[in-house]
Amino acid sequence: MLRFIAQRLLTAIPVLFVVILITFTLIRLAPGGPFDQERRVPQVVLETLNKRYNLDDPVHVQFFNYLGNLLKGDFGPSFKYPTRTVTEMISTGLPVTLELGFYALLFAMCIGIASGVVAALRPNSLQDYVPMSLAMAGICLPSFVLGPLLILIFGIGLNALPISGWNATPGDKILPAITLGAAYAAYVARLTRGGMLEVLSQDYIRTARAKGLSPLRILTHHALRGGLAPVVSFAGPAAAMLLSGSFVVETVFQVPGLGRFYLQAAFNRDYTMILGTTIFFATLIIIFNLLADILLVWLNPKLRENMLKS
Amino acid sequence: MSELIQELQQYEKGRSLWQDAFRRLRKNKLAMFGMAVLSIIVVLALLTPWIAPYSYEQQDLYLGATPPSAEHWFGTDVFGRDQLTRMLYGSRISLMVGLVATSVALLIGVLWGTIAGFFGGRVDAIMMRLVDILYALPFAIFIILLTVVFGRSMLLLFLAIGAVEWLTMARIVRGQVVSLRRQEFIEAAVAMGLTRWQIMQKHLIPNVLGPIIIYTTLTIPSVILLESFLSFLGLGIQPPQSSWGSLIKAGVETMEEYPWLLIYPGILLSLTLFSLNFLGDGLRDALDPRASQD
Repeated sequence: MLRFIAQRLLTAIPVLFVVILITFTLIRLAPGGPFDQERRVPQVVLETLNKRYNLDDPVHVQFFNYLGNLLKGDFGPSFKYPTRTVTEMISTGLPVTLELGFYALLFAMCIGIASGVVAALRPNSLQDYVPMSLAMAGICLPSFVLGPLLILIFGIGLNALPISGWNATPGDKILPAITLGAAYAAYVARLTRGGMLEVLSQDYIRTARAKGLSPLRILTHHALRGGLAPVVSFAGPAAAMLLSGSFVVETVFQVPGLGRFYLQAAFNRDYTMILGTTIFFATLIIIFNLLADILLVWLNPKLRENMLKS
Repeated sequence: MSELIQELQQYEKGRSLWQDAFRRLRKNKLAMFGMAVLSIIVVLALLTPWIAPYSYEQQDLYLGATPPSAEHWFGTDVFGRDQLTRMLYGSRISLMVGLVATSVALLIGVLWGTIAGFFGGRVDAIMMRLVDILYALPFAIFIILLTVVFGRSMLLLFLAIGAVEWLTMARIVRGQVVSLRRQEFIEAAVAMGLTRWQIMQKHLIPNVLGPIIIYTTLTIPSVILLESFLSFLGLGIQPPQSSWGSLIKAGVETMEEYPWLLIYPGILLSLTLFSLNFLGDGLRDALDPRASQD
């Protein structure tokens, strides 16, 4: 197990390096410097600024300087708000985004697994069709349509829930979490159903049944562990989905999270901020993929040998 | 009796794989529903310049935003522009992005997968390792990054989305090619002295075509979704042009006063995604009956 984890960690490092290299190069290719303003800045000021941010060094020197600073957890200053550092902005936005993601995940797991299991227990019956149609709806109703619709119905129509803000009024986390989690719940439901159907037809389930175990015990003690494998391996891509979803949800519900900072930076052409957050997001996703792999192997030891071989 | 004779005659003629698949597809009501809806939307989008009730940028500031009426079936927006007309033109752009970007993904993915699968060995290992690495990247973020660096243009949108979506296609094609290469009928073809090109043409491509078609129909909705996502955030299609995503964005801004500006484009987008997914699932069941339904 340890060897497996070490091997995965080692492959993650070059991936991360490539990400940083690509992002850094792209940002350098971007037209216009960070100090281009509508008002012309005097040449002297520009040169001082360039010197202040070490922009007159050769590019590769800049890259390794940046890499060195990254290792110390320093993402550099923001180009647009010189008084704030990128690290500061990430650390204010991250907890909000993580909390939102956590609630969305919780919602998705509860609803998704439950409806997937219900559907798999009696395939091709009403009990299967209803949750699976809902899941299809969850996939086809993008968050930027679902969110505003929920606002219209529950916020404005019924006046039942707050429609914007974060931690300001009680219940203002409910709609964003549901909006973000809906598509994910749909995928989880479909994956759970598929996984459960496969497991339920296997011999060891029949053995358990023959032993006279109750259906509930078979489900919780025998089937779920194997049946949830597809859900677990989806956790990595899901993290990426949740992140990109948080751009939309944080915009629609005005949640002050990392996604909104990132979009602001994209519109402001705040290059260091974009660079920093991209690298940060990539690291997060690589870590999530790693955790998903480890969890998967832990759940199914048979996979370990295969993975080590490949 | 005559039915039986008909059926027997059918067997006599023999059915190709494709006829068989089409017959199965026709029985799938959801898939046929999806196909019908899609055909309508595509035909409307193609005919837009001739059938649109109003001109695209014709404003009527005096009129402003009005709810659906006999003159304006889907209402008008804050500039008094006919919403139906804007949705029709938006469909053209969204569908075009869907098709072009999917073609880019298709081209790269199929070539990459076929080459990796056909040559195998070290070439295969390196090429697929690269796909694995790219898979791990946060792509929505990379596309946003690209739009920031290279500006917001439609060409970039095609390339960026296409460049993101080819990975799964490459994996699927490679898997198919690798498993086909080991099969006996390919060996037999080699033994009969067929050239590489003949083998690819006669045996490999027809056998890989099924999964490619299935996955292409499933890629189009995710491409359309990605474009709408970017346009919704203001990073995709720029005004005065509009796509479904940018119409929804405009609708959200004024949804408290004029909800119809959000609801109709939202329904159109969701309906298209529904139809494409149903059709894709239907095709998968029709072309590959062994594949489990998940």
